[in-house]
Amino acid sequence: MNAIPQLFFDAMSLGGIYAMAALGIALIFGVMKLVNFAHGEYIAFCVFALIVPSTDAVAVMFLGKAPAFLLIPTLLLIGAAVAVASEFFVFRHMRNATPVAMMISSFALGFVIQNILLVVFSSRPKAVSLWPELNQPVSIAGASIPLLQLIVILSTLIVVVTLAVLLKRTRIGLEMRAAAENFTMARLLGVRANVVITGAFALSGALAAAVALIMVTQTGVADIRMGGQIMLVAFIATVIGGLGSLPGAVAAGFLIGAASVILQGFLPLEARPFRDAFLFTLVIVSLLLRPEGLFAPRSSKPRV
Amino acid sequence: MSKLGVFDVSVRYGKVPALTDVSFTVEEGERMFISGPNGAGKSSLLKAICGAVPTTHGRIEVDGDMLNGRSPEVIARLGLTMVPEGREIFGTLTVEENLRVGTGIRPDKPAVETDIDEVYQSFPILGERRHTNAGALSGGQQQMLAIGRGLMTNPKLMLVDEPSLGLAPNIVDQVYDTLVNLQNDRGLTLIIVEQSSARAARVGGRMVLLRGGSVVGDGDAAKFAESDLLKEAYFGQNKAEDAT
Amino acid sequence: MAQSHKQKRLSAWSTPLLLIAILLVFTLLVTVLGDKPLARMAAQTLIRVTFVVGLWIFVGNSGVVSFGHAGYMAIGAYCSAWLTLRPQMKGMFLPDLWPFLANAEWHVFPAAVASGLLAAFVALISGAAILRLTGIAASIATFAFLAIVYTIYSSWEGVTGATSSVVGLTRYANQWVTFGWASVTVLAAAWYANSASGLALRASREDEVAADASGINMYRHRLLSLVVSAFFTGVAGALFAHSLGVLNPNSFYLGITFITLAMLVVGGIGSLTGAVTGVLVLSIIIEALVRMERGMTIGETTLALPTGAQEIIIGIIMILVLIIRPAGLTGGRELRLRIGGRGQT
Ligand SMILES: Nc1ncnc2c1ncn2[C@@H]1O[C@H](COP(=O)(O)OP(=O)(O)OP(=O)(O)O)[C@@H](O)[C@H]1O
Ligand SMILES: [Mg+2]
Repeated sequence: MNAIPQLFFDAMSLGGIYAMAALGIALIFGVMKLVNFAHGEYIAFCVFALIVPSTDAVAVMFLGKAPAFLLIPTLLLIGAAVAVASEFFVFRHMRNATPVAMMISSFALGFVIQNILLVVFSSRPKAVSLWPELNQPVSIAGASIPLLQLIVILSTLIVVVTLAVLLKRTRIGLEMRAAAENFTMARLLGVRANVVITGAFALSGALAAAVALIMVTQTGVADIRMGGQIMLVAFIATVIGGLGSLPGAVAAGFLIGAASVILQGFLPLEARPFRDAFLFTLVIVSLLLRPEGLFAPRSSKPRV
Repeated sequence: MSKLGVFDVSVRYGKVPALTDVSFTVEEGERMFISGPNGAGKSSLLKAICGAVPTTHGRIEVDGDMLNGRSPEVIARLGLTMVPEGREIFGTLTVEENLRVGTGIRPDKPAVETDIDEVYQSFPILGERRHTNAGALSGGQQQMLAIGRGLMTNPKLMLVDEPSLGLAPNIVDQVYDTLVNLQNDRGLTLIIVEQSSARAARVGGRMVLLRGGSVVGDGDAAKFAESDLLKEAYFGQNKAEDAT
Repeated sequence: MAQSHKQKRLSAWSTPLLLIAILLVFTLLVTVLGDKPLARMAAQTLIRVTFVVGLWIFVGNSGVVSFGHAGYMAIGAYCSAWLTLRPQMKGMFLPDLWPFLANAEWHVFPAAVASGLLAAFVALISGAAILRLTGIAASIATFAFLAIVYTIYSSWEGVTGATSSVVGLTRYANQWVTFGWASVTVLAAAWYANSASGLALRASREDEVAADASGINMYRHRLLSLVVSAFFTGVAGALFAHSLGVLNPNSFYLGITFITLAMLVVGGIGSLTGAVTGVLVLSIIIEALVRMERGMTIGETTLALPTGAQEIIIGIIMILVLIIRPAGLTGGRELRLRIGGRGQT
C-alpha cells in the first residue's frame, strides 16, 4: 500500500468537487457581484431530485432510476432550472440593491430551499445507492483507488474544459466575459443583461447538479444539511481564488481539497476532529495576507 | 424627421443637476461637435442619449422613436452606439473579442468579417495585435479599439466622447480622418465631444456649446473658433448669446 | 444654539428609553395575560433582543455584516455552563475541564458577566485579525470564524460535551431577568451609537474619502464596536443556556445566524429601533407559526403546518423586505421624542 499516491488521488477528487462548486459561485459573482449563499442548496436540491419524496431512511430512486445517459442531462437541466428560477423570483428584483443586500437575500433563499427539502423529505439522512459499482477499487501506482475517484477527477477536468470552451468560443460566453468586466459598457454594445445573467445562473446551476451527482455517488447519503457544508468550503475557495476569478476558484478548490486531505492525514489523531477549524483558520490567514485572493493578479482581473 | 431629437432634457445625480432643459436636433448624416468646459455635462448628455443614465425630465427621440426609459441594450438595437470617455475597453478580452462584443445585435452576420477587416485596415496596429489582451494596449491604441468596437455594431448614429483625449496630434488626425471617411462611406450621423475648437473647426461641422448643464451656443464650428463665445463659455461670467 | 444641542442629546436618549418602555409593556402584558408557555416565549424574545441589539452595535455602526456572532453567543453560553453547573455534573459530562472551571460554582449573575467578558475577549483577538479586512471579505471571514467556533465546540468532547447536549443548567432566565439584560443592552447600544467612536464609524460609512484618510482609526473603532457587541452577544448566549436549561452546539450555527440576521434586516439595519422592531415583529410571527406547526383545530379537522414551514415563511418575508423595503420596516429611522419640537416622529 502506497500512501502518497493515495493521498494525491484523495486530494484531487475532493479538490475537484470543491473546484466545481466554487466555479458555480464565482461565475455568478463575476457577472453580477452576487455572493450566492444559496448555491449549496442548489446542490442539495439536485441530490434530492434523484429520489422519491419520503421520510424513510432508505431512499427509493426516482430520477435516480433512469439510465445515466438520461439521468445526467436531466439533472443538469434541473440544476439550471432551479438556479434560473431563483434569479427570476429573487435576484432580478434586486438589480439595484447593494452587494450586501443581495448576499443576505441569497442566504435567506438558501434557507427557504433547505426547509422546502425538510418539509418534503424530513431531516433524516437517507441512504442513496447511485451507481454503487463505481466504488470498486482499481489499482494505480501501487495505490488502490476507487474507480469513482478517477471518474471525479476526470469529470472535473471535463467540466472545467467545457466551461472554458463555452466561455471562450461561444457568443454567450463572450458576452458573459464582457459583462463580468464592465456590465454597463457591455449593455451599451447591445449585450442583453437578462440573457447574460440567466445564462450565468443556468451554468452555475448545472455545475451544482454535477457536484450533486458526484457527491451522492461518493457518499451514498442524501442529507438536507449537505448543501450548507459544501457551500461553506466552496465559498471559501471562491474567496481565496479571488472573488469572480474562474481559474482562481478552480485552483483554490484544489488547494483546499489538498489542504484538508493533508491535514486529515498528518494531524495527530486527537486533533483530527478539529480539522475544519484549522482549515478555516488558514482561510482567514490567507485572506489577511491577500485580501483580493491568492490567485488574483495584482492589477487586472484574470483571464478566463 | 430628425435623426436625433433632444427636447428639454434634464439629468441629475442625486441632488446634483448635470443637465437642465437641453434641446437640439441632429439631422441624418450631420456631424456635430459638443464642446464646453469640464463639468459642463457633455458626457452626461451622451450617457443620457444612450440610456446609461436616466433623464429626470424631457424627451429623447431617434427617428421619432422615444428613447426615455428604454434600457441601453434596446437603444443599441436602434442603431445608436457610444464610444465612451475613458474608452472602457474590455481589458481581459482580446482585441478581436472586443470588436465582436457588439456584433450580436447585427442581422447581417456575413458582413461582420469584412467589417473587422475594415477596422484593421483603418487601424493596422489593431490587426497586428488582434490576439493580445486589450488591457495590454497603449492608451492611443485603446482609443482606436474603442472606436472600432463602436463601428462594429454597424451604427447609424455614433456618439464619441473626447476621442482626442491623451492622443498624440498625428494620431488625433488619423482618428478624425477615419471617422470622417466612415461617415462619408456609410452616411453615419456623428456626435463628437471635442474640447479643441480649433480641431473642430478644421474637421468642420456644427457645434453645440454647453456650460453648466445648459446649451449656450449652437452654430458652425468654424465660426465658433473665431468668436469670443467659446472663451466666454469657458471662462466668462455672463451667459453667451447664440452664435447663429 | 447650546440649548438646541442639549435638546438634540436629550432627544437621542429618548430612543432607548422609548424602546425599553415598549419592551416593558410587552413583558408586563405577557406576564399578566399570558400562560407559562407565553412567558417562556417572551423570555426567548427578550434574549433575541439582547442578541440582535448586541449584533446591531457592530453591524449597524460599522456597516460590516457579521455572520460570526452566533459564535460569540456559543462562547458565552458554554462559559456560563462551565461556571454554574454543579461540579458533580461537570465531572460526569465534561471530564476534561480545567480544575478551576471544574470546581467553579458561581452565582448566575457574575457568570453571565464573565460569559460576556470571555466573548468580548475572543472578539478582541478574532476581530484584531478579521477587521483588517473590509467589505465582503470581512463578512466572509466572520463566516469562517463561525465555522471555527462551531467545529471546536462540536468536537471538544471532554470540555463542551461535543454534539451531545449539556443538561442541568439552572433555568433562571425568565422574562424579567431577560428584560433586565435586554434593557441594559439597548442602553449600551444607544450609548455606543452616540459616543465619539460610534459617530465616527457611522460618519465614515457615508463618506468613504474621509474613512480612507483616517483608516487606522476606523480599524480601532470597528474593533471597539465588535468587542462591545460581542459582550452582549455572549451574555445573550448565557441567558439562552439558562432559559432552556440545555446546551447544544447546533443551537449556535446557521439557524440562529439566519433568524437574527433576518430580524435585523426586516427591522432595518440602519437604526437601533429597527433592531428591536425586527425582533418583536418576527418573534410574534414565529410564535404564531410555531403554534400552527403544532396544529390548529378548525371544526372537525386539525390543520398543522409541517416543520420547516416557519423558516420558509420567515425566509420569504426577509426576501420580500429586502426587495420592497431594502432599508427595513423602520427605514433606518429612530423612534424618538422631539424635545422642544413637535413631538414624536
Ligand atoms: N456619476 C456621477 N455622480 C455624481 N455626479 C456626477 C457623476 N457624473 C458626473 N457628475 C457631475 O455632473 C456634472 C457633469 O459631468 P460630466 O461628466 O457630464 O461633465 P463633462 O462635460 O463631460 O466634463 P469633462 O470635460 O470633464 O469630461 C459634473 O458636475 C459632475 O461632477
Ligand atoms: Mg466628459
